[in-house]
Amino acid sequence: MTDQSGYPDAVIIERSFDAPVDLIWQMWTDPEHFKAWYGPDGATIPVAKMDVHIGGTRLVCMEMQTPDGPTQMWFTGEYREVVENERLVYTESMSDANGNVVSPSDPGMPAGHPSTTEIRVELEDVGGRTKMVLTHAGVPADSPGAAGWAMALDKLAAHVDAYSDR
Amino acid sequence: MTTAIDQDRLSETFGALANSTRRAILARLADGAATVNELAEPFEMTLPAISKHIKVLERAGLVRRGQRAQYRPCALDATPLAEVATWAEQYRPVWEARFDRMDDYLTQLQQRKTGPR
Repeated sequence: MTDQSGYPDAVIIERSFDAPVDLIWQMWTDPEHFKAWYGPDGATIPVAKMDVHIGGTRLVCMEMQTPDGPTQMWFTGEYREVVENERLVYTESMSDANGNVVSPSDPGMPAGHPSTTEIRVELEDVGGRTKMVLTHAGVPADSPGAAGWAMALDKLAAHVDAYSDR
Repeated sequence: MTTAIDQDRLSETFGALANSTRRAILARLADGAATVNELAEPFEMTLPAISKHIKVLERAGLVRRGQRAQYRPCALDATPLAEVATWAEQYRPVWEARFDRMDDYLTQLQQRKTGPR
């Protein structure tokens, strides 16, 4: 279950786009471009604030239409790595409209649970096209629990598999 | 996207697993059911301390207690672990759909400026 991302639990997606690398960079870092593609179907992004430098914060609002009316979800995070046209790493947590992180209830929760996730975007120019690798990790690699996770999850993988086959 | 309930459940599972004693207890239970006394043996901990860890695992649905007499053996329940294993994978279709939209949007953008390139 430990994959090449170095994260104990991550999804990795590789895509190629017929566009230059600087335009793909803008897709992630220019709020107007970001709003155009980020929202899931049926959702809009009314707010996207991005202070794109290391330590800078981001705040994104996703608005969905539900039978009960529109519902807003807010996400905040911090930029950890910013290398223009090459590499972008940021964290993401659910928050309120002011960017205050909303913790998943349990006040005694130890570090390492996935209330914060980490998104890593790597771009590469391939003859005018762009290769993009996205890594979305449930447990940030440098969190105190990460090493323990890899071990625990590996050890228990067999049991998970046994359960999944049922 | 996962539901709020799923997220709460996941947080509880991760919280329960983020402790080496509790992971060791689960590893022991992976070999078969055991009583609290048996589980306490390898640790330099009091029975109440071990019981507390087992209660956390029970709350997270990772351990079930038998009803038999005062021994009430503990057994592993892997159901929440299967959810942990698929947590990241749940995001794959979300991202794939986003990148499909990014692709469409890029096409629109580039068609708009077909003039000087």
